[in-house]
Amino acid sequence: MDKVDASAHYQGVTEDKPSLLVVVLDTNPFAWQSLHSELPLQTALSHILLFLNAHLSFSHANRVAVIASHTKSATFLYPNSAAAAETAETSVDLYRDANKYRLFASIERQVQSSMQRLLSSTAPESLAGTNETTMAGALSLALAYINRVCNADNLSDSGEGSGGGARPGEARADTASMTARILVVSVSGDLANQYVSVMNSIFAAQRQRVPIDICKIAGDTVFLQQASDSTNGIYMQLQHPSALLQYLLSCFMSDPSTRHHLIPPSQINVDFRAACFCHKRVVDIGFVCSICLSIFCSPPPGAICTTCNTKLDVSALGNYGGKPAVVLMKKKKIKKAKKVLNDSAADSSTPGTPVA
Amino acid sequence: MAPSTIRGFDEYLQSLPPITFQRLYQQPATALAIFRRMLPSLAKIFVTTLLYNDRPIPLAELQSWVRTESYREREDAFSKLRRLHITQERAGNVSIDPIFKKNFRLALTGGGDHHSFGVPVDASDDRKKVSISTLDNYAANQFDCILHYMVEPSGQRQPNPGVKILLITSGLMKQSERGHQPKITQAGFSFILQEGNAQIWALLIQYLEMCESLQMEKTEVLHFLLMLGSLELGQAYSTATLTQTQIKVLADLKDYGVVYQRKSMPDRFYPTRLATTLTSDVTGLRSTAASFTQALVAAGPVAPPSEAAGESGFIIIETNYRVYAYTNNPLSIAILDLFCKLGSRFPNLVTAKLTRASIQRAIANGITADQIIDYLKVHAHPVMRKNVLILPPTVVDQIRLWQIEGERMKTTPGFLFKDFASEWDFQDTARYAEELGILAWKDSKRRLMFATRTEQIVDYLKRRGEQQAVGRKV
Repeated sequence: MDKVDASAHYQGVTEDKPSLLVVVLDTNPFAWQSLHSELPLQTALSHILLFLNAHLSFSHANRVAVIASHTKSATFLYPNSAAAAETAETSVDLYRDANKYRLFASIERQVQSSMQRLLSSTAPESLAGTNETTMAGALSLALAYINRVCNADNLSDSGEGSGGGARPGEARADTASMTARILVVSVSGDLANQYVSVMNSIFAAQRQRVPIDICKIAGDTVFLQQASDSTNGIYMQLQHPSALLQYLLSCFMSDPSTRHHLIPPSQINVDFRAACFCHKRVVDIGFVCSICLSIFCSPPPGAICTTCNTKLDVSALGNYGGKPAVVLMKKKKIKKAKKVLNDSAADSSTPGTPVA
Repeated sequence: MAPSTIRGFDEYLQSLPPITFQRLYQQPATALAIFRRMLPSLAKIFVTTLLYNDRPIPLAELQSWVRTESYREREDAFSKLRRLHITQERAGNVSIDPIFKKNFRLALTGGGDHHSFGVPVDASDDRKKVSISTLDNYAANQFDCILHYMVEPSGQRQPNPGVKILLITSGLMKQSERGHQPKITQAGFSFILQEGNAQIWALLIQYLEMCESLQMEKTEVLHFLLMLGSLELGQAYSTATLTQTQIKVLADLKDYGVVYQRKSMPDRFYPTRLATTLTSDVTGLRSTAASFTQALVAAGPVAPPSEAAGESGFIIIETNYRVYAYTNNPLSIAILDLFCKLGSRFPNLVTAKLTRASIQRAIANGITADQIIDYLKVHAHPVMRKNVLILPPTVVDQIRLWQIEGERMKTTPGFLFKDFASEWDFQDTARYAEELGILAWKDSKRRLMFATRTEQIVDYLKRRGEQQAVGRKV
């Protein structure tokens, strides 16, 4: 019978895999405050919700999750069992509800209420001196969730209509072919303190073939650039933050399976610098432990590696500026030592170190 | 190819006139459903890009987003958008149809006052709780009843008169003589072998076509059907906002098992799984079919005893093409008879044989080898399921080979293009058709080509003509 349909050769196109979208929203209050004139958090949130709705409207089987990367913690905004219970209690105006697709409405309510709770639970004093965001935590939550949805959930009946009651064998084949991606909406700057954990998350994502897209509204974080670069994600620095919605809908809409038809928005040169393990500074040139590959901005005190306690032969450095043995060891990812000298290293060395 | 009256929903929708689309897109739920079900993912991305753009975008710019290797997907996306009247093109610029734009935005943001997503009713005052399994049973029973009736019109379980009329007008059954019971047609048999969701749509499309003769507004029915797809399983919905036509439709859909309504509570209805998966994508459909089979099994106590006892699988196939079916269910036996040579019948067992003649007869009746194999696989006996390959590979291969045997000649419906003005004109058009994969045949000497579709080529020629006109002015 299929042959009657003349569009038989188009069927490969329509048979798209469902996809999971995890949005990591940076909720650092300081950063949003400084952005307030251009893009208040509330507006940004409503843009993101619309974007989520658009993603869900692509396919019945598509799913979303929203994670807030707050100053000291990372929490799920959706799905959030506490918020779900709360919104279920509050009786909704049923008549008004008919104007909205139910799934959209429930996501919106849960995200809004858990966001409210997150912000009201943040005491002003707890913010003192932090202008950071727990990006590493949020990324690991996202990856764990993706792993659960794509691999573990398929046996249990998710009860969401589409997968419900399917035979286990089929269900496994179906959901394992679910593609996932992470979108980071980032507003705050440096992540140097979390260098190791962020990098580990990036490698985990790379392994799971989960692209990390970065929507950079403000600030600049080298590691997020590396994240999108090494996972084949999209990096976008917004020129006009107020047009967030348009950026989201036109650049970040494509799921991984559609992406190979599209030319990605052009990627500017990626900053591959690393942060040192001792002072969490981003370094242009660093010292790498020959055993565990830890990075230091200056030779560690007593020439003992602080990570693996190996006694290092500092004499090999000779007059720093010659050829340190560590350079020969370097592999692809340790290609961190680069071109220009950083201020901290400048006084102990001569500029213009040749680097292969 | 096959004597079939069954059309898919996609084809049906594309055959509608533009004015109908204008009316369809007035409901956000419909706009959302068509967006979700009908468009390839690339087209969806174009739509979202254009959605909040008030100025039209040059077509060339959108085209430049797509890799050159994905040329075919790109053209497919644009032609789908044009055929569904979602985009408009003026002087090389693309913009979204304003009505679609407005209502799709409303669907995403949830604004407006249209109630197109169904008005939920608080069902807690209902004394008897309607559970999801009740709904599944109901849907399975109703639909099973229709299938049973098609195979055995004189059986005990009779569907409502409305269903009978639909089956006859759609050509799935035929009234041979006045006063006699109608009999199933070939189209009906291949309908039975189809996958669950396709069956529902086939019935609904027939229903839509019948609506016109019943003086019912087609768009209202379509709105209602597409709305059903966005409802939630297990939730009660109010009938208060439905139009007169839609209430009539509701009563008919009850007979198909698409919605459930209790007699004591006429002010509310429950969509069943058949309804909520109407606008699902392809993967959604498959699991529906699977869950539907399960529901059929679960419906045991109400179904004939043979089904209740024998799980879903009852067929054993040996490598020597012998088939043993542990069933006394007339529906199953009738289906087996479609492609097997039946041997003998015992109280709980039917023996049959797959032969070249029996398979080719089935194929001549419009049943495909894949349908037969799928049917055998789904209904394989638990003993067969222990094998890694459920069916013996020799049998599967042979069924396919028997099908291919008959395919020495293939007909391709399409359109002949002739009288090209110049060699370049011909080559360019033929190249375009070839890239789209719609070129069936060409003869360069006589400047003739045969394509399976015309819309895209007509569009292309029009656009090329415009470009040339512009070029000449410059």
